[in-house]
Amino acid sequence: MELIPPVILYILVDFSVYLIVTLSLNLEVGYAGLPQFGRVLAVLTGALVAGAIPGRLLALMYGLPYGPEYAFYEYNYKVVDTLNTILEKNPLLSITIFIFTLVLAMVLGAVIGYLTSKPAIRLREAYLGITLLAMGDVLMLITYYYTPIIGGTTGVSVVDPFRWTGGARFYVATFTLLGIALLTFLLIERLTKSPYGRVLRAMRDSELVITVYGRDIVKLRTYTLMVGAAIASLGGALYTFYTGSCIASTYTRVTWTFWPWAFMMLGGTGNNLGVMFGVLVFVIVKTLIVMYRGLLAPYVPFDPVWLEYTFVGMAIVLIAIFRPQGLIPEKPIFTIPRKKIEELIKA
Amino acid sequence: MNSNDYILVTKELTKSFGGLVAVNRVSISVRKNSITMLMGPNGAGKTTFVNVCTGVYRPDSGKVFFDGRDITGLPPHEIYKLGFVRTFQIPIPFQSLTVLENVLAAMNSVGENPLIAVVKRRWVRVEEDMIEKAFKIMDTVGLSRFWDLPAYKLGAAQLKMLEVARALAVGAKLIALDEPIGGVDPAYANRILTYVRDLKERFDVTFLLIEHRIDIALPYVDYVYVMDRGSVVVEGTPNEVVKNPKVIEIYIGE
Ligand SMILES: Nc1ncnc2c1ncn2[C@@H]1O[C@H](COP(=O)(O)OP(=O)(O)OP(=O)(O)O)[C@@H](O)[C@H]1O
Ligand SMILES: [Mg+2]
Repeated sequence: MELIPPVILYILVDFSVYLIVTLSLNLEVGYAGLPQFGRVLAVLTGALVAGAIPGRLLALMYGLPYGPEYAFYEYNYKVVDTLNTILEKNPLLSITIFIFTLVLAMVLGAVIGYLTSKPAIRLREAYLGITLLAMGDVLMLITYYYTPIIGGTTGVSVVDPFRWTGGARFYVATFTLLGIALLTFLLIERLTKSPYGRVLRAMRDSELVITVYGRDIVKLRTYTLMVGAAIASLGGALYTFYTGSCIASTYTRVTWTFWPWAFMMLGGTGNNLGVMFGVLVFVIVKTLIVMYRGLLAPYVPFDPVWLEYTFVGMAIVLIAIFRPQGLIPEKPIFTIPRKKIEELIKA
Repeated sequence: MNSNDYILVTKELTKSFGGLVAVNRVSISVRKNSITMLMGPNGAGKTTFVNVCTGVYRPDSGKVFFDGRDITGLPPHEIYKLGFVRTFQIPIPFQSLTVLENVLAAMNSVGENPLIAVVKRRWVRVEEDMIEKAFKIMDTVGLSRFWDLPAYKLGAAQLKMLEVARALAVGAKLIALDEPIGGVDPAYANRILTYVRDLKERFDVTFLLIEHRIDIALPYVDYVYVMDRGSVVVEGTPNEVVKNPKVIEIYIGE
């Protein structure tokens, strides 16, 4: 049964996850002007939640090891296997645990966002950027070398909330991710086309003036880092459920901070539709490179494994030089439709 | 003198930059519901004075009282909440926001809380009211036509008016206008000042007007302070001040 070629599913999954993560980045960078160089931190938080918590909860329910040993590879694959056979017959439990985990990932993401906002009160621009970047790396390194959470260097298997759909598993999982990504898009659109979005862009344009006009920028930054991190964390949790495994080394600053930056810059910083377009273009090109890099091997003077990295890096440089505003630049925003505003003027 | 009659009182306010004392023990009192003018030659310290009063800079010494409350050293956003707002002499627009959005951004909306922002019906009424109010103000300062232009496309005089529009939109008790009509043609300048005067008469609002062009501004103001090299040198009613030999000396000596 092959309704849709696997490569399309693969692209849709990457598109969905990166759309969520890049939209959250765009909220913080494009709208609020925050130097978010630590996107990976919140994505990893979501991955940790999905990797460490639903399996343990189920293990607890069914009398299986759920302590630190849950994450040790000798136990982990057995426990998760057993749990998956239970989930396979229990759609309701599967859906409940899926939704519960996503909500928890968002809550803990917001908590992480709140914690990162603490230095944001004192630091600005480059200093804040470096601090955020370092925080992401620190959490990655800790969870990579500390075994009891998600198994350290061996990682963990993750319970599969889609198992009950049987042969349709990859379709169901893919379209669930896509659906959630599109909902996230609508949510972010609503957020940014509101007085909240306006005050963020105003803060980005001049912190001094927005302060003189009564806004506490510490509070605005804190809110925004929390919202952004909650959404990015959702992306991390979804990706983890999809892949069915979780290992900290997946969450590097290259793939979950710099790539989203590149997608955002290509599409149009400060424009959600642009971001969606940027993610789509990049994901397609990246996938094609991965598929065909073997063919290119004789023609490049280095291991073609590096081609996608080279491509993204080059794209960042070229966009910054030739089209810094991105393919679909930021446009004036109307909180209520233009027509309605024109009616109001006449009245 | 009853302190209740004054919206803004400073006591021996001082601010220096390195060796330069930009504001030197300035004590002024701005009467409620007046248009009080602060004039003085370039570099007299007028803008620095406003910056210190509104919390943009901390004073080295001295005190600022707003509506009877000590506000010395409070951050600008808290001073705003008490009802004190100011404009910038060199306009600082929100560059990428439209003219309308610039004015709206000066007002506060419940929809700025992200949790409320997602529920449009909770802020849309407020938004419509704000838009209507914004257009009234933009009409007065002549910006209505440009409402959907991003601020970076405006000319210098229009940016000045945008500064004024933002400050008027707030509904503050005290508005400090830092050279609002500098570089604006006299007909327009008169229109703005008439509007300011009109607002003062209709509402319980006070203006601290910083201005160079005394000829245009004087007919509109109730009281004048003259600063020179950091200090207040003369104060009085407009009539007294124009006749004061010191003032003549400062302005002719310039
Ligand atoms: N941030 C600053 N750093 C150093 N010196 C400053 C600063 N701001 C103002 N000054 C200096 O303080 C003095 C007073 O400047 P200020 O801008 O307050 O004068 P002003 O009366 O507003 O003049 P103008 O009519 O030109 O606007 C000037 O000598 C100015 O160079
Ligand atoms: Mg000045």
